[in-house]
Amino acid sequence: MMSKKLERVISLFLTLIIIIIVVNGLSLTYEDKADSPIKEYIIENHEETGAVNLVEAVLLDFRAYDTFGEVIILYIAIAGVIILGKEMRKDKTEDEQDQEEPIEDSKKPKEEKT
Amino acid sequence: MKSPVVRTAARFLSPFLFLSGLYFATHGFLLPGGGFQGGVLLASGAILLLLTHGRDKVIRIEENIDWFETIGTVIFLSAGFAGIFVGGFFFYNVLPETPVWCIVLDVVISLKVFAGILALFIYLFGIRRVRAC
Repeated sequence: MMSKKLERVISLFLTLIIIIIVVNGLSLTYEDKADSPIKEYIIENHEETGAVNLVEAVLLDFRAYDTFGEVIILYIAIAGVIILGKEMRKDKTEDEQDQEEPIEDSKKPKEEKT
Repeated sequence: MKSPVVRTAARFLSPFLFLSGLYFATHGFLLPGGGFQGGVLLASGAILLLLTHGRDKVIRIEENIDWFETIGTVIFLSAGFAGIFVGGFFFYNVLPETPVWCIVLDVVISLKVFAGILALFIYLFGIRRVRAC
């Protein structure tokens, strides 16, 4: 077992490392990447996409893969919610089948009619 | 919800939410906004009606919500594959130098996000029950 003093020293050390990494990354982002050639490329060529808005030109033309990924993420999230509901419903029907069924029967024909 | 104030306010507010959602979705190539924002606004209008008036007001949308989601994904994917046949790589701009490509993709994304957010709401709040299999 580690002593508490050692744990504290290690956690302080790790926190310092994380702070250094984050500050280093931020400074890199703002100083070196601000005037990269990709910016000029997008500004010069965005008229080919037909979009006046630069953000939209990047989202739907230069980086349409990224938008596709976002769309698929939403699709998978809904599939996960449906599967989760199915699993919970299965557990419920196994446990409390006698209590649940009359409620279900009264509701189901309504849903099927509409 | 029984309160007449809330019901009336929601009934007056939801058409404006739908309108602004459509505006954001179709003018994404020109102004700030786009498919995701427009879709979320459309979904917020539908959720407002669903919370205040029950399922009856949005029953047509709510019944076909899975189809909206699937059709949106399929059209978006087929737009990507159309780029392969026309230009040679995935998501190549089929109609360059016209805003048609951006408008079509924006409308498709807004339909998909609208269906997605509404389906998440419907399933998580138990408005529609998932059948156990």
